[in-house]
Amino acid sequence: MEGGNSQSQDPNFKELYTIPSDSRWFSWDDIHQVERYSLKEFFDASSITRTPKIYKEYRDFIISKYREDPNRRLTFSEVRKALVGDISLIHKVFVFLESWNLINFNAPKREDDDDDDDDYVGGEDKWNVRVEEGAPYGVKVVANPNSLKPVLPPPVSVSGGGIGGIVSPLASFKDRYGELVKKKLVCGNCKGSCESGCYEYSKDRNFLICLECFKSENYGEKKAAGDFKFQDCTVRNGNFESAWSEAETLLLLESVLKYGDDWEVVAQHVQTKSKLDCISKLIQLPFGELMFGAGNGKPRLWDTGDSISSVNQVNLDSRESSEITKTVKAPVSDASDDLNNENEQNGNAEDVTPPQKRLCTVRVSDSSNSLMKQVSRLSMMVGPHITSSASEAAVAALCYENLCPREIFEVNDDGSHKFGLSQHDRHRASPAKDSDMEERQASDVQDTSLTNTIPVALRMRAATATALGAAAARAKLLADQEDRVVEHQVATIIEMQVKKLQCKMRCIEDLELIMETEHGQMKKLVKSLLSKRMNVLKKIFSAGISRWGDRASVTAHAPSVP
Amino acid sequence: MKSHSTWSASKNPVKFRMPTAENLVPIRLDIEIDGQRFRDAFTWNPSDPDSEVVVFAKRTVRDLKLTPAFVTQIAQSIQSQLGDFRSYEGQDMYTGEKIVPIKVDLRVNHTLIKDQFLWDLNNFESDPEEFARTFCKDLGIDDPEVGPAIAFAIREQLYEIAIQNVSSARESRISKKGRRGFEHSLPSKAGGTGLDLMKLYGFRSSVVRKRKEWDVYEPIVDKLSNEEVGALEAKEERNAQ
Repeated sequence: MEGGNSQSQDPNFKELYTIPSDSRWFSWDDIHQVERYSLKEFFDASSITRTPKIYKEYRDFIISKYREDPNRRLTFSEVRKALVGDISLIHKVFVFLESWNLINFNAPKREDDDDDDDDYVGGEDKWNVRVEEGAPYGVKVVANPNSLKPVLPPPVSVSGGGIGGIVSPLASFKDRYGELVKKKLVCGNCKGSCESGCYEYSKDRNFLICLECFKSENYGEKKAAGDFKFQDCTVRNGNFESAWSEAETLLLLESVLKYGDDWEVVAQHVQTKSKLDCISKLIQLPFGELMFGAGNGKPRLWDTGDSISSVNQVNLDSRESSEITKTVKAPVSDASDDLNNENEQNGNAEDVTPPQKRLCTVRVSDSSNSLMKQVSRLSMMVGPHITSSASEAAVAALCYENLCPREIFEVNDDGSHKFGLSQHDRHRASPAKDSDMEERQASDVQDTSLTNTIPVALRMRAATATALGAAAARAKLLADQEDRVVEHQVATIIEMQVKKLQCKMRCIEDLELIMETEHGQMKKLVKSLLSKRMNVLKKIFSAGISRWGDRASVTAHAPSVP
Repeated sequence: MKSHSTWSASKNPVKFRMPTAENLVPIRLDIEIDGQRFRDAFTWNPSDPDSEVVVFAKRTVRDLKLTPAFVTQIAQSIQSQLGDFRSYEGQDMYTGEKIVPIKVDLRVNHTLIKDQFLWDLNNFESDPEEFARTFCKDLGIDDPEVGPAIAFAIREQLYEIAIQNVSSARESRISKKGRRGFEHSLPSKAGGTGLDLMKLYGFRSSVVRKRKEWDVYEPIVDKLSNEEVGALEAKEERNAQ
């Protein structure tokens, strides 16, 4: 969930465990200084039963035992039965690991953890006190301490960075993000709610007054009209394109799973977004509609599909809206009984090539229709070549399996060949025409030609096999296409990178040139300086100012110049 | 008392004391006067002044509304048990490397507890009370009397083993009889050499026990119904007679 900052992943483990950031030192392969310090007895070589190796075994066993089920609280009594050794020592290791939250971090906190260490004085005092204040006998007894414990927020470590991101997986989002939820705006003057808009007092952002109060100039004590700024609540509430935060999205998913497509309730639960927002967001999610397939048995959203989809079209950009209408329309038409209608509609939707993947999944999984319909739909999605070859292969396989003479299927073969050809021809002749009608005709042909000769069960199986074959072929096609796309993308990326590199090379060459010229200039400068110096020296000599000290210093300096 | 002394070096003898962090002596009382029977078990700090004993006895008698005759009896019993303990103090205790199995088999009110674990006599940081508290918390035992009873049972056994250590250290000494009222049969090895921990380490000298042995070292807690408790008490009564 949340909490990226404070999670640290052990490289040796594929699974991700949450441990607090101040326990980052932990590693399976090593014993850290912290451990050496806190559990000295293992590291002072005082006994062969207390060695670093044994400590590591204790530690690793306890931690992996906890990680078998991180949501359950691991108790000492559970661990000790499996470990050989001094019970106090094992307890010390256990307490150490627990105090660093390496175990029992995600587990629900115990109710009585806090008061425990504080009021404990000496062996028996505490229990004696308990006798007097104790709960009625037998009220709280739970046989298994893990079973009925209430879920409480996990301990939140106060030190170290990135706190607050760690949540128990069982904490509800309301617990966690309650403060994010928008507060209802209340007029500071008349105490009514400011539904449509309000004026914010610039000196105290918490003070608001509603439109009516502002108009009637009830600003409240010592406040002037100029200090108020207008804020439109409707914009804040109904901003369709406004970004969805991660928390809001998860809240949405949570409530959809809980309430199904009762959008009023869902929107109420999400609180920060409107009903329409919720719907469109859910549809935008890559797995949005799957949530409905698995989630609930309530009346489907799509009963009102048309109106919603039209609304969506307004809100979303054109590409996405067309996608949505497709997904919406298909199930709607499934619900209708009229087969003719349905096929026509599907055909309309299918004019776009290549069909969307999402479309396929929705429709195949929606298997309330008759088998033949499925077959025709599946085969419709692929080209005629594939359909015919798939049916051929299916027939062949069935013949192998049932040992029945191939002649039975002769008609079938002919028929499919025939319709395959005819379809092909027509497809060429009128590519824009509804391909679905052909399919229907073809299947009619198939039906009539087959009914007389082949038993129904065989026909069904042949049809199923055909459909599956067609689907497989189609899947392969899609995969190939995707492959190509990916290849293309990769090629472009590489190309871009190469270009970038070339650019860089050019830059570096230019720089080199500049450096060279500068180098030359520097050399010239050095030469001229040398000659100047020589001149000066000559002049000094000729002038006859020849003091040893001066000359010595001059000669000493001379070699260091170049 | 050097309650924070770390592990005793195995070779050097230690002066006799309870082999736990706090030097608390287990005291058990079972006194019957005029048909009134008083049984109790608690721990006592031997470094407390002896005047406390009488104060404690008086207060107990007043709180429990016992007949005044109990005061002297209680005080005497505590005093004599403390005297036993003190008679060992100052003697050397050879502990060596010594891990002993501790067995707990108790009934407290409606709770029946069976458990077994290993205890290091050399660990002068061990804390039976802390252990018992963890035990009750882990197993969800709410009866407040269970924890002290477990701690007490552990202390009694540790005390017994410590006495035997002193005795075995001094061969000339006539071995003392175990304390009276001690209900648990000690594990046969406990008094002697203790266990060699290395032998207990299982396959490839791993500290993790073999899975089939887990049950042996697992705590078992039973809740008894009123009838069962009644039956058990009647049986104990008969045995006592």
